[in-house]
Amino acid sequence: MLAAMIFPGLGHAVAGEIKRAALIATGVLGLFFGGMFIGGIDVVDSKEDAVWFYGQALVGPLAFGVDWAHQEKFKVIDSSGKLRSAFPDEGRDPKTGKAVPGGTPPNEKSIGKVNELGTLFATLAGMLNLVVILDAGFPARDRPKKKDTPDAGKAGA
Amino acid sequence: MNSLLPQILAYTPFIDPINVHRVWFWLLIPLSLGISITYKAVRVGDMRHYPRQVLVMTVQIVAAMVLLGLASYLLIQHILPRILPAA
Repeated sequence: MLAAMIFPGLGHAVAGEIKRAALIATGVLGLFFGGMFIGGIDVVDSKEDAVWFYGQALVGPLAFGVDWAHQEKFKVIDSSGKLRSAFPDEGRDPKTGKAVPGGTPPNEKSIGKVNELGTLFATLAGMLNLVVILDAGFPARDRPKKKDTPDAGKAGA
Repeated sequence: MNSLLPQILAYTPFIDPINVHRVWFWLLIPLSLGISITYKAVRVGDMRHYPRQVLVMTVQIVAAMVLLGLASYLLIQHILPRILPAA
């Protein structure tokens, strides 16, 4: 269960269910990075979209890493000391992180449906990973045990 | 094309958003597929049935969303105006 919290599918991989783990990782990471592909890095934001980030955080350390990069490497500090996304006509001083008028913003802020859907993709990835984490700790009862699976039977024959 | 070129060159995948404002509803299909891939990987006992189960669940989600959209349209555009006509 701890392994499942570290990386999507790792809990099942540790339990010996490699194929299942690979499919879980494909699904969870596909949704998470799919959300980032649609809405950009702006969809993972613990400061401006905290409630959504609670769901995204369930993906594990990966989500915290992306959020850290967003806050520390892409957002700018304005004249009042507030951390925010750069405006279209602003750049970012890489040393101080302060907004520089007239530059190019480090990232484009997503808006409208694109932002909503990107955020939804990434949040659903986290919520599904919660199901995965619970399954890694308490496997489903109707799943056949390893000795009952056809592959296990062939291996034993 | 010349006006689009600076935008294309400035685009960085996973950092900047893609421009799908006009076709956003098509994203329901990859969303449903991603949900189905993950959920069925946990739920399916015999993995031989996995691809079919994923396909069925994806179609079920898309169909349910289309029906919900249709129901919302009928409620807002046709049923409610008859019950509560504009003053």
